[in-house]
Formats: sequence, structure tokens, C-alpha cells
Amino acid sequence: MTKIGWLEKWTLRYAVAGLVWLAINGFEGALMRTSLVDPVALRGLEAAMNLLRPVGFQPTSAQVFYSMMTAHPICGIYGFAYMSVMGAFYFLAPHLLKKDIRYRRLIPLNFWLQIVGVFTAWGAGFFLLFNSLYTLYWPLPVSFDRVPLVGSIVFAIGAAVIMVNILLFSFNIFSTVVSKSNPGTYGFGGLLRSTLGISRLQRWLGKKGDGNPEPRPDPAELPVFIVSVTRGSIDTVINAVVLLTAGGLILVYGLATLFKMPLDPRAVSPLLYKNWFWWGLDMVADGNVLIYSAGIWYLLIPLLVGRNLFGESVVRTVILIDLLVSLGVWSHHLLADQPQPVVMRILSGQLITWGEFFTMGLTIFASMMTIWLARPVKLTPPLRFVLGSIFGFLIGGAAGLVQANVGLNVVLHNTQWVISTHAHTMLLTGLSMLIFAVIYALIPMLTKLEIRSRWLVDVHLWGWLIGSLTMAYSMGWAGVLGMLRRMLYPVPNPYQPESAIALAGALVLAVGFLAFLINILMTLGWKNLVSLILPEREVASALEASS
Amino acid sequence: MDVRERRWLYVLIGVFLVFNVITLSPLVPWQRWLLWSKPAPTQRVNIGFENYQITLPTGGIEAKVGEPVEFAATSNDVTYGLGVFRADGTMAFQMQVIPGYQNTLGWEFDAPGLYDIRSTEYSGPEHPGMFIKQAIRVIP
Repeated sequence: MTKIGWLEKWTLRYAVAGLVWLAINGFEGALMRTSLVDPVALRGLEAAMNLLRPVGFQPTSAQVFYSMMTAHPICGIYGFAYMSVMGAFYFLAPHLLKKDIRYRRLIPLNFWLQIVGVFTAWGAGFFLLFNSLYTLYWPLPVSFDRVPLVGSIVFAIGAAVIMVNILLFSFNIFSTVVSKSNPGTYGFGGLLRSTLGISRLQRWLGKKGDGNPEPRPDPAELPVFIVSVTRGSIDTVINAVVLLTAGGLILVYGLATLFKMPLDPRAVSPLLYKNWFWWGLDMVADGNVLIYSAGIWYLLIPLLVGRNLFGESVVRTVILIDLLVSLGVWSHHLLADQPQPVVMRILSGQLITWGEFFTMGLTIFASMMTIWLARPVKLTPPLRFVLGSIFGFLIGGAAGLVQANVGLNVVLHNTQWVISTHAHTMLLTGLSMLIFAVIYALIPMLTKLEIRSRWLVDVHLWGWLIGSLTMAYSMGWAGVLGMLRRMLYPVPNPYQPESAIALAGALVLAVGFLAFLINILMTLGWKNLVSLILPEREVASALEASS
Repeated sequence: MDVRERRWLYVLIGVFLVFNVITLSPLVPWQRWLLWSKPAPTQRVNIGFENYQITLPTGGIEAKVGEPVEFAATSNDVTYGLGVFRADGTMAFQMQVIPGYQNTLGWEFDAPGLYDIRSTEYSGPEHPGMFIKQAIRVIP
């Protein structure tokens, strides 16, 4: 058994928990894809699962399908992605800043609160059939003739736990960055100057035209990865606060109905709510996902290729612009809402969204130039997954720009194009491959163990890449042919061939994921894995007893 | 900024300009009347959404090819979507139907035929049933 440090062990626990949520997420995705291909194929499984559901009635296949669709993104985003990010940042932030996490006790608390919150919100869908989907369009989550009352209350509580926990995590990260626990620390003013780009602006004003093609940042500035984490965490906080208010509203209406004092949903404007909700939700979809991902590229690529990041001073500005862009893009979700002012749809929905084209375009350019200038480079497992993730963000982002367009959205809104070609490509090919890259890079750092099988890495890489692209593009093509998202088509489903190809892609993806899990298990060994769950003394005594 | 970055930025600006100018211009057929000419509609079609039901005007909907028609949709409970589909299943156009608002969109059909209407926004588990086949008749 390898001796693994306290912080390293918690990072591994976060990663393992995240992967468990990804497995659940993938299983649900495969079930929904199967339902689209053959709605009766899962009746037996549905009947067995219904035994676990304490709802007091026999749910229809549609109720099961939509409640699963509601639960699916919760475990994918707040289970897999957030837990992986939390674990990685809790290790990387102190490692790069050369100081301890400010509140160490929050590390296990964040771990357990996230699991409890995600399980509660996910369980509200899976067990209690809450089916309002993650969009929570007002007043559907409080329309209790369509959505179960208890499920709605439990979902709101779970969402609130997740958001409070994310605020605690962000607070801990901010506190760590500004804590004065080492001589080279950054004060709050320095943090603001660095993360908001003020010091770069001052330098630019003072040294404009010095002819230096690649000026180095001021040594007093934060590492570029920490700048990304800090700026991304501003989005994370805004997102958590906004979703907390939405969840609180649903909770108030749910409790009022439970206590026989129902409130009038018409008191809340659905359009105003939709603007508020998407403004907050886009802090994740178009905010921290992009900024955190960029930050990880800026950190990993120079480490993996052994060269300084190309154009570091430019990417610092890019991260700031990304933050500003993320504050203004939400109307691209309201392009089909005719009461939304047309100037908002064109400006916020289309043109500001193109700001991401510039920020991600420059980010990817800096990343690829760094690799290019470092030739010859060794294509290690993390570097290969980094390249896969860049490819995923490139094509997923391009698909997003096609739909975030007042003209093209007329025929693409709410089709499979949106959720498959854009969202699933961003999440599976882009974000997930980046998280895998981080895991491949971190495991040797955390445990001093090398990834065991290169062959399994290959199976993982190509299975995941081919599977995710097959799935996304077959459904995207179905979207172009008119197939809607959030639609359980009755038999005969006119888009069955495309759905069947997507299901095959999902299975290839699953093979890739399985290869990854086996490789990680082989690398860590079951003793190290068990030591993540049981106290070390108990593992040691169990080993002693067995020998 | 490095000269290579500057060149790349010019490429990005070029793509931005070309894509947005084309898609905001009348080269996208419906942008002609949605953004630019905004013709006065020759008829207004009122469609109601409530309790998973789509209510069409009495006597059905009939339009001529090229005639500007205004579709006005209202909902009395939750958010729905008004989607108009061709006989082969491809989407002609759609819009969200927000409760408490007049949701209007002008359209000019480019081909005769029978068009279906389907709700394009999830409104609860019975949402897949919100479908009316051959709801619109478009004549030459």
C-alpha cells in the first residue's frame, strides 16, 4: 500500500465520488437513449425501479423518462464535474501558492455536503419523480398538477444544499488565495488587481510600445491558473446565489401548498424569472466551465510540454474578458421568446455570445502555440486528453454559435442540435476529457504511482472520443431533421435510425469509460482504494489478519 | 501582443463579421420579414395553449404561399412552444409560448402543403401528446 498524504487522499476521494456520479449519469443517459429507440424495451426495468419509488401510484413511462431527464444533469454537473473540480482545486491551489488551504475542515465538509445535496436533488427526480427538468421554467416547478409536490420540495432542498456548499468552497478558495500564511502572499488588493487585470492595464499604460513580443507578467502577479480559478469562482458564486433564489422560490411555493396555503404562481413573471434564471445558470455554462477549463490548459500544457505558456500576458486579459462576456450572454437561451426585446436577443443573445469565440479562440491559440513551439513533444496520456478536450470545445463551441443566432435559432431552438451537437459535445468531448486529463496528470503527483496500462489509455481515449462524437452528431443530425429535445416520441419514432446510432455511440463511450476505471483500479490497487473509504489503521489490521 | 496572435485575432474578427453579417441579412430568408421589411400581416392566427391542449381557430388555418401571416399564441398555465413542421418532419419555425404574454411571430410560407403543429417546449409529462397533424393548409 502506498503512503498517501491527507490532502492527496481527499483529492482522490473527490475524484472517485465524481466518477461514481459520472457512472450513474451515464447509466441514466443510456436508459433514456434506449427509451428513444424502443419505448417498451425497459418496461421490466421500470417496473423493478418503481418498487423503489415511494410515490403511491404507478408512474407512466413518460413520468419516469422526464424525472430521469431531470435527475441526469444534476449528477453530471454537480456530482461529476463539480466534485472533480473541487478535489483538483483543493490540491492545486495550495500546491501552486505554496501555502495551506485556509480552512482545512471545509475540505471533508464540502465533500459530504456535495454528496448529500446531489443525492437529495437527484433522488427527488429518480425516486420522487420530480420532472420539471433542470430548466425549472416558471411556473412548471410549482404546477403541482404536473409535478409532484414532495418531489419539488425535496429537489429545492437538495439544490439549496449544493449551492450553499459551493459558496463555502468558493469562500475557502478565495480565503486561501488572500491568506497571509507565507511571505509571498497576495493581499485582497493585489488579488483584485491581478484577477481584474488592473496591474496589466497599469503596465500597458506605462510600457506601451516597448517592442517586447511576449512580455512576462509582473512577478508579483498570481499564477495564471490561480487567476482563472479566482475569476471563474466569481461566476461560480453568482451562479450559486441566483440558483439559490430560484430554489428558495420553489421551496416557498411548495411549503405553502403543503400547509394548505397555496400561493398564486402568477405573482412571478415567467419572463423575468427566465431572464434571472438563465443569467445565473450561464455563469456555469458560459462562465466557469470555460474559464476553469482555460485555466487548466494554461497550467497543464506548459507542465506537460516543458515550455512557458505562449502569450501569457494576453491570456490574462482574455480571462477577464471571459468574465465580462459571461455576465452578458444569457439571452441566447431566450432567442425564441418573442416578448424578449429584439435588441436584447441580437445584442446579448447573439453578438455578446460571440465574445466567447474570441476568448476561446485566443485561449486555444495560446494553448496550441505552446505545444507547437515545444516540439518535439511526448504525447503522454494527459496531453492526449488535453488535445481531445480542445477539439471538443472547438466543435461544441462552433455548434453553439450556430444556434445562438436570431436567424438560425428559429429552426434549431429546442431541437436535438442544441443538446447534442453543442451541449453534449462540450460536456463529454470537451469538459470530461479535460477532467480525465487532470486525473491522469494528478494520480502520479498524488500517489507516486504511474498509470499502469497504455493500451487501456488508448481504449479510453478512442472509445470516449468516437463514442461521444457518434452520439452527439447522430442526434444533431436528427435535430436538423426536426427532432426535438425533451421529447419522448410515440411509436413509431420517425427519428429511430438516428437514435439507434446514438445508442451505439453511447455504448462505445461506455467501453472507453470502463477501460479508464479498470486502468485506475489497476494503477491505484484495491488496497489504496479501500484506504480512501476506511481509516488506514483498519486497512492495515485487515491486511495483517489476511496475511 | 505577439504578431502571430495579432494575425490570429484578425482571422477571428473576419469570421465574426462574415458569419454575423450573413445571418443577420436577408440571405437567411425569414430575416427579410422578421428583421428588415416587417410587412403588415394579411391575417392573424390565434392559437391557445392550456392544460396540455392546443386550441386552433374555428375553421382551421389556411394561408397562401408568400402571404405574411401573424401567429399569436397564448398560454393560460405554463410555458409551451409553438412549432410548425413540414410533412417530412423538418421544422418550418417555432417560438416559445410564455404564459401571461402575447407571443407573436410573423411568417411567410415558401411552399404549399399541409403543416403539423407540435408543442416544442416541455410542459409536463403529457407534453409528447401535444401534436396536431395537418393543422395548417398552405395553398399556392
